[in-house]
Amino acid sequence: MAQPASSSGAQKADRTLTMARAGREAVISEMRRNPNIFVIGEDVAKLGGVFGTTVGMAEEFGAHRVIDTPISETGFIGIATGAAMAGMRPIIEIAFVDFIGVCFNQIFNFAAKTHYMSGGQFKVPLTMMIGYGGGYNDAAQHSQTLIATLAHVPGIRIVTPADAYDAKGLMHTCLRDDNLTLWMVHKAIWGLGWLGLPIKTALAVVPEEDYAIPFGQARIWREGKDVTLVGYGITVHHALVAAEKLAAEGVSAEVLDLRSIVPLDREAIMKSVAKTGRLVVADEDYMNCGVTAEVLAVVAERNPKALKAPAVRVANPDVPIPFSRPMENFVLPDADRIVAAARSTLKAS
Amino acid sequence: MTDITVPADLWDTEEEGVILTWIYSSGASVEQGKVLAELMVEKAQLEITAPASGTLTILAPPDTVVRKGTVIGRIE
Repeated sequence: MAQPASSSGAQKADRTLTMARAGREAVISEMRRNPNIFVIGEDVAKLGGVFGTTVGMAEEFGAHRVIDTPISETGFIGIATGAAMAGMRPIIEIAFVDFIGVCFNQIFNFAAKTHYMSGGQFKVPLTMMIGYGGGYNDAAQHSQTLIATLAHVPGIRIVTPADAYDAKGLMHTCLRDDNLTLWMVHKAIWGLGWLGLPIKTALAVVPEEDYAIPFGQARIWREGKDVTLVGYGITVHHALVAAEKLAAEGVSAEVLDLRSIVPLDREAIMKSVAKTGRLVVADEDYMNCGVTAEVLAVVAERNPKALKAPAVRVANPDVPIPFSRPMENFVLPDADRIVAAARSTLKAS
Repeated sequence: MTDITVPADLWDTEEEGVILTWIYSSGASVEQGKVLAELMVEKAQLEITAPASGTLTILAPPDTVVRKGTVIGRIE
């Protein structure tokens, strides 16, 4: 679906940005507006972020607002949580979600719960920008998604932009929110040069001015009437390819991007399924107790009769992600697996 | 007319690079100093900025292999 481009300044040419550049633009803009925002983490100052998310920020904002730390996630998330309670608005970068396990006590028990435990006396406006996902031979400890693990705990908002327009708009929303917010981007769509050419559908025309995209709003990328393909992050792009292949077979697929995992846009899921009657949910995370299950539960609870055929989940089959490329390809969802799943929902009815 | 050339001091070695993405399209009006394109060289992402203001013509689309001194576009 086309996004509105910049309406002001007829002289300005459209800029097509990567998600990395668009997200960084939002951070810089918010830091210029709000002196309480600071960035803390590993390699954020001198290096500019493992994925270039903070390039140029140390030069512009100085060492007191862009702070390099040792490899000590527990320590700096604790520092950031305390600073947030005291009125600051910290940003943390976790380049690989795989290592978030070492921070779970700070995240689950402090950052996510202090507002509740203090009876609302403290807020924790802390934003974490997190890379996730595989598909590039980085093996089981650098390729995970782990979003369901984080989404399970109350007190955490999670957004998963799938293109540069949403990357910027959702980053603004995260940085203006008074809660723990996770802005999570799949590495393969971020626009990281070492992973090859950017995926074209993840690039987008991005207005120069600030704009915010609310939490909890899914996005329809492609309208269809026969089957709903639900995804987020990379699986949106797989689903778009799948929808194109299905169209060649005469099947009209709708592509729904969850875009926000917590809160989840349950109404958008029901609305699409009510229209198509068939549902495929694709997720690169592990299948067991995952986002795919949550989406199916929405339909099961609200209106199971909306489905003309059993829904199908396409996700990692609960195994560590292999290093070997053929094995990794076998494990991770792709367009062909989504096409096969969609075909099975059409045969079953 | 000004050529957009890959600067000789953009990176230290004589390795080739590859164009990753152009931020503006051919025909766009661009301002001197704005980032126009991203290059990838030895896993590092580098930026090409506009050497002048004017109308952009892209000569090296994404995935083109470039060297220092390669003319990748032009501004008129």
